[in-house]
Amino acid sequence: MKKFKRILAIVLKELQDIKKNPNILIMYALPVFLTFLWHNILPVMEETVALSFGLLFLVVMVGMYVPSIMIAEEKEKNTMEVLLLSPATPLEVIIGKGLLTFLSIIMVALLLIFITGNQDGALFLIILATALTVIFAIMVGMIVGLVAKDQRSTGIIGMPVYLLLLIIPQTAGLEQGVLQRLAYLLPTYHYLLLLEKTLTAEITTALYLTGLGFILFSSLVILALLLYCYQRRGLT
Amino acid sequence: MIELRNIAKNYNGTTALQEVNLKVAAGEIFGLLGPNGAGKTTAIKILTGQLKPDAGQAYIYEKNIQSHREDLLSKMGIVPENTNLYERLTILENLKFYCRLYNQDYSLIDRYLKLVDLQDFKSRAVKKLSRGMKQKVLLIRALLHEPDILFLDEPTSGLDPGSAAVIHKILQQLNEKGITILLTSHNMEEVDKLCHRVAFLHQGRLVEEGTPQKLKLQYSSSDIKIVYREEGQVKEKIFDMTQRDRLAQKLSLLITQERLLAIHSQEPSLADIFVTITGKELT
Repeated sequence: MKKFKRILAIVLKELQDIKKNPNILIMYALPVFLTFLWHNILPVMEETVALSFGLLFLVVMVGMYVPSIMIAEEKEKNTMEVLLLSPATPLEVIIGKGLLTFLSIIMVALLLIFITGNQDGALFLIILATALTVIFAIMVGMIVGLVAKDQRSTGIIGMPVYLLLLIIPQTAGLEQGVLQRLAYLLPTYHYLLLLEKTLTAEITTALYLTGLGFILFSSLVILALLLYCYQRRGLT
Repeated sequence: MIELRNIAKNYNGTTALQEVNLKVAAGEIFGLLGPNGAGKTTAIKILTGQLKPDAGQAYIYEKNIQSHREDLLSKMGIVPENTNLYERLTILENLKFYCRLYNQDYSLIDRYLKLVDLQDFKSRAVKKLSRGMKQKVLLIRALLHEPDILFLDEPTSGLDPGSAAVIHKILQQLNEKGITILLTSHNMEEVDKLCHRVAFLHQGRLVEEGTPQKLKLQYSSSDIKIVYREEGQVKEKIFDMTQRDRLAQKLSLLITQERLLAIHSQEPSLADIFVTITGKELT
């Protein structure tokens, strides 16, 4: 119970802090703005593209950027040091930060779905795939936050990773060679594929479960890497 | 209550502490003094379990800090040298966050805000506070879980004399309520005023320890300075107190003739003592 209260305290603190942090607020606003733009102002785009690209942008950019900044800022400003002198354990700190990012992204994802219209029976499938991919993205962001010395270096370390996970899946269809083989290794490619097939009602159970399985496997690999980085560097 | 036994710590080949032995009794205000880089912060970090020593052990309540860290941390309040508060949050949001972490109710917040005269600023973002105000918030944060021991790393560094005096007064009040205080400083006046006992750290070694009074007596000379009037002019003369008859005679004469203006003992300040011991200034 005490552990749960401490995690809740960290979630609440992060929420209060995010509300006053324009850099992070812009990151949340961007996918909403882009999805709105693609859906309403660029009608030449296929109907499903606005939502799937919006969700991918949200999951990759916000899911990775927010936790990396949260951790790096606490290290840079020495607040992590005091946090770890409190009864809060490193695991509780990580869960608290990750939980807020997770919940906020799911809420924004629902907003994107609302903006692009009723998805009928696909809502559950979209949210489930999004939830799993967000967990993967948050863990990648946390690794960047652990490795980075300060907020500025999260960009230097994280941006190539974010762009790889964001751009390769979107351009994979343009070429059948190396790019597509590389894309196939990325969970974000499978996420985008799941979204597109679900939104066009072409999804099959086998395809959906294969995609989810790949995202889950990638998450486990990243979890192992996160634990390794934590062992090596700690939170401070 | 607080003890360091044969502590040594190195950073990449540079010695931060070596063979440091120290005991602080319950109810004391203890000052760890030394210039920048003397090892004061390292000593506090070892005592609070943030750093592991390369050799030796640190004990709080006779328990090893490394093996009983979680239990002992709940008994300690820590005011670090950096003002590491959440700058975008208000004073109240910062303090409520720590109350939630320690599972404490919020009643202490108002009490302490009143004590440090910050109740009118509680809704102000920390980034808009002065250095002195931030220091007071750090002190409240360290007290929210009602610790028995308070560690303060340079608590008044960079503060104006008024804000420093407020912090001193609060520390004395807390000590009167039974809180044991260990503070580091390179401000000798502060330490002289506040501390029951002090220790000098120099290049990672503990070079002297005792009450400020004892140290001053130990390092004082036997000279006294007499200031008097003679032929319309103010003059000074140094006397050796061991030559009692000569001194008594001179004083008696000056008093009778109403020419004595002042008598000064040649008692050294703690800063003078530090220079005597180490040959270096406390900067």
